[in-house]
Amino acid sequence: MDNENVIEIKNLTAGFDGRTVLYDISLEVKRNEIFVILGSSGGGKTTLLKHIIGLLRPEKGSISIFGKNTLEMEVDEFESILKRIGMLFQGGALLNSMEVWENIAIPLEQHTDLENEVIHRIIRQKLSLVNLRDAYYLLPSELSGGMKKRVSLARAIVMDPEILFFDEPTAGLDPITSADLDKLILDLKKKLGITLVIVTHELESIKRIADRIIYLQKGKNIFCGTIEEAKKAGIEEIDRFFGWNKD
Amino acid sequence: MIKKTDINTLKVTGDFSNDMISEFKKHYNDLKKKSVKPVIDLSEVEHAGTLAVAFLEFISRNKKIEIRTGESLRSEIDKFASESGYGNSEAKLSFLDRTVVTVSDFFKELVSFTVLSADIFYYSIGSVFNSSGRRKGSVFEQMLLMGNNAVPIVALLSFLIGLVLSLQSAAQLKQFGANIYIVDLIVIGMILEMGPILTSVIIAGRTGSAIAAEISTMKITEELDALKVMALNPLKYVVAPKMLSLTVCLPILTILSNLVGILGGFVIGILYLDLSFDMFFNRTIEVMTLYFWWQSMLKSVLFSWLIVLIGAHFGFKVKGGSEAVGKAATSSVVAAIFAIIMTDAVLSLIFYFEW
Repeated sequence: MDNENVIEIKNLTAGFDGRTVLYDISLEVKRNEIFVILGSSGGGKTTLLKHIIGLLRPEKGSISIFGKNTLEMEVDEFESILKRIGMLFQGGALLNSMEVWENIAIPLEQHTDLENEVIHRIIRQKLSLVNLRDAYYLLPSELSGGMKKRVSLARAIVMDPEILFFDEPTAGLDPITSADLDKLILDLKKKLGITLVIVTHELESIKRIADRIIYLQKGKNIFCGTIEEAKKAGIEEIDRFFGWNKD
Repeated sequence: MIKKTDINTLKVTGDFSNDMISEFKKHYNDLKKKSVKPVIDLSEVEHAGTLAVAFLEFISRNKKIEIRTGESLRSEIDKFASESGYGNSEAKLSFLDRTVVTVSDFFKELVSFTVLSADIFYYSIGSVFNSSGRRKGSVFEQMLLMGNNAVPIVALLSFLIGLVLSLQSAAQLKQFGANIYIVDLIVIGMILEMGPILTSVIIAGRTGSAIAAEISTMKITEELDALKVMALNPLKYVVAPKMLSLTVCLPILTILSNLVGILGGFVIGILYLDLSFDMFFNRTIEVMTLYFWWQSMLKSVLFSWLIVLIGAHFGFKVKGGSEAVGKAATSSVVAAIFAIIMTDAVLSLIFYFEW
């Protein structure tokens, strides 16, 4: 099962406002792996992620999740795919007018008919998982950057997603919090068997968690494989990114 | 060094540093006034600062002035022109082109507003029959925010408007001994015009701006994207509850405004025009027809839709950072008040002439 492709992208060309941002991208993400999207700023990493989760529509190419082409789906069918995935946005994207528990409750209230008591217990369990039990009744404005990301993670995993997307999970966090979050990501993979797709350019984080990487340079895929393979590939841009060409 | 070599020529030699721009400008303005065929000779400039190059590029666009430069300064000016965007044709649109762009942008915006409005109506009507996809209790919560919390301000302002409107009219009516007609004036004025308009304008300022600010903030902070990824439709989750609650609240607030405005007129009628309570009350019942109330309610429902649709439109189209939120809120209020008054004028004409 682990070799099954949960995401398959073929010849994706995409852009917005008449500007092409991604050129002919093809990739596969296998079940239960941590797949990291790398590249320099403005290279198209977040744009690629937004296309995979359906927030943007490409000009050309196909995107399949769980073996189904999402671009040819009806809204209802795509929503059933979305219920099987989770996403952690760069700034957390918590609804500011709602308390922490209400934010985490959104998917449970909308997509299940569980009793309120069960919902509250699930939320407490997820908050313990991200070490934030005490934040239950806090508003997002009362949380630090790292806490917001952890609450957002709790919300993203509350429906037991099969794929979890992260947009710069450790950006703006101190090294200790970053390391804790990486540990949490590895735990999620191990305990829950989740597939993770992560956009980041935090070197330490990549080395700690990545199973495979894709490197985008100005919207083009210049490498896809493991970090070891990247080291052997001898691509100047990647060597400079990882600092491998230092004497 | 800057010097005038003759009445038509201004010459710069050596270094043209940035701090020489002010002095150069004085000579340049003087030359423009006095000379018929001005020439600026920069052929002996050895080096120019970046600000000086920018200024020279600016004046070089004036075709009436001849500018002589050495090769290296000319290439610096041309480089600046192309890098700062004035080298391309886009920046030099003619008046006609700009008009075409403005008109086409307006129609594009109108189309996107129409499409968004149709979607909002679709999801709001659907949301009446099927509450899935919207938060439990959100309509009631919005009713409290939009309706209940606006009661004091709507009541106070309506009372004052009714009072002032009657007071100003009373002096004229008194001259003809037509005191009793203050009732007709205030009842018809409040129910048909002042009530719906005043309430809608207050709500456009209070709620319309809040809707635009909330949605635009949610867009900038990716909250709307987060809802989409959770398989929720932002129109149904965020906008539909506002649409439903304001459709109910604005007519109720308008009824309140009408009645309190009439009460303001009643105070003037009793205290200034010597009308008795019975006279005022009986005349009010005679004048106040169901047809007037129907018009008033129709207007308030239409205005409530305009407030939500325009607020949502400006909220969803926002791009950029936090300053864009303020702009969206302001624009939504201006556009909503404009739309309300235009719609009111059209409806009033239709009803008055019974078209």
